[in-house]
Amino acid sequence: MKLRNAMLAVLAASVALAALPWLLSDFLLALALSCIMYAGLAVSWAMFCGASNYLSLATAAFFGLGAYVTAWGAGALPYGLSVLAGGIVAAAFAAMVGAAVLHLRGAYFAVITFGLGELVRHAITYYEKAYEGTVGRIIAEAPESTTVYWTVLLVSAAAVATAFAVREGRLGLALRGIGSDEERAQTLGVNARRSKVLAFALSAFFAGALGAAMAVRWTYIDPPTVFNPFIGFQTVLIAMVGGAHTIIGPIVSAVVFSLLTEFLRLQFPYLFLTLLGLLLILLVLYLPGGLVSLIERWRIGERWRWRRGDA
Amino acid sequence: MREALLSARRVSVRFGGLVAVDGVDLDVHAGELVGIIGPNGAGKTTFFHALSGVLVPTAGRLAVDGVDLTGRAAHEFANHGVARTFQTPRVFRGMSAEDNVRFGLEFAGRRRQHARDTFDNPAAILGLLGLADAAGAPAGGLTPARQRLLEIGMALGARPRVLLLDEVAAGLTLAEVEATAQLIRRVRDELGVAVIWIEHAVRVLLNHVERVAVLHQGAKIADGDPRKVAKDPAVVEAYLGEEVPA
Repeated sequence: MKLRNAMLAVLAASVALAALPWLLSDFLLALALSCIMYAGLAVSWAMFCGASNYLSLATAAFFGLGAYVTAWGAGALPYGLSVLAGGIVAAAFAAMVGAAVLHLRGAYFAVITFGLGELVRHAITYYEKAYEGTVGRIIAEAPESTTVYWTVLLVSAAAVATAFAVREGRLGLALRGIGSDEERAQTLGVNARRSKVLAFALSAFFAGALGAAMAVRWTYIDPPTVFNPFIGFQTVLIAMVGGAHTIIGPIVSAVVFSLLTEFLRLQFPYLFLTLLGLLLILLVLYLPGGLVSLIERWRIGERWRWRRGDA
Repeated sequence: MREALLSARRVSVRFGGLVAVDGVDLDVHAGELVGIIGPNGAGKTTFFHALSGVLVPTAGRLAVDGVDLTGRAAHEFANHGVARTFQTPRVFRGMSAEDNVRFGLEFAGRRRQHARDTFDNPAAILGLLGLADAAGAPAGGLTPARQRLLEIGMALGARPRVLLLDEVAAGLTLAEVEATAQLIRRVRDELGVAVIWIEHAVRVLLNHVERVAVLHQGAKIADGDPRKVAKDPAVVEAYLGEEVPA
């Protein structure tokens, strides 16, 4: 029941957002696109990392892999198909790597996944130089910007719907158990390795598909652009600031972040990264539970007041 | 003779030079309630780790209902019906008590149906344990004694065929210990499971089990009727003259 309501809400929100191209200027539509992309990335990151307490910095690797699938397939693959292929390649890569490194935890896992992004970036740089004789690629036939918008919206909506399904299902329960006490979860019948690899690959699928969908926005792509670690950090920060154990938190936070980044960039073009950093430090210091914790705090306060009035 | 539900053959666990469990044989049949006692450091908990797949024994073989599970992962032991509690409660602290019980039902417990299942849902299991009022509360906020009870509930959720209880009565008052023992017998009678129960407090255990095994320095030195075992010279020796009441 709860899941059905969530799915209906996702569907309603997607339909409403799909109308934006007719309502917004090009500038505002680009802003909306950025909000929706980061919402998709942050929700798919939190799908695995939020419940299982893993810190993955591999988002940039999956995103970049997806983007390169589009670049390599340009001309041969239709846009929609390259988005799907980008997701599948990223998921397959995540499953392969995950099987090898998901027994690591904490800082070790974070460092390995960060290194993974660098590894893929350098591997692609080398391959392109040595065998294709190029450093970057031009995507000549880019689809309409509205097509890109709808595609990114579709992928992000699918990520949110999947996140709800995972959370309400057995995989989500297994991940929460693993995040809380992995060995205890195993003694109750959870195949921890399989659950983790599956969830890691699922979360990589959406990051890869989003990378593949966004690649055409750049018209020229090279490894430093699409494997930009900033994309990975931004995703993690958005999810953590929003509250990685929730689904709505990262969505709200993605919107707030994207709008704030844009506002600061326009108002303080030279200081905006400094201001963004300062804001982050303040948020982490004073709101470690994320933005959703504000609502949770307010709710607890309400209940408390209500009880006191009742007594 | 019918086949044992759980069978350990010459199981040893070594940590470097230390032999924690030394060639222990143990057969437990369905419906049996077996106690394991032994002085501190006798290897009781380490033996449980081996029986539940948490730790792979250095030597020996383990089988559940005739299936050899030696060297397999903990979740496979759970899926074959071995469920356990931990001495220091390891409940999922952030989850509600109800979700803690539901956890086993969703994983290892999905594979089995008990013949007469009175405890087939979280509410019934929590009710049996007297935790019905805590169903919605985060498990981490329960008192240690209630977390210990919840540990039993988590194991019951896995619909065990063999239930391993590690010092579930520690830190309880005498009345609570009595109630817990009644509960364990009831679970055994109603579900027909085999129960292996470790307790550091010898007196408590001997009053409630029908068979007891004694571990000393990792080796099994006695196994049988509690009254006979309590008078066994080797057992009295192991406890260094400590009185072992029947």
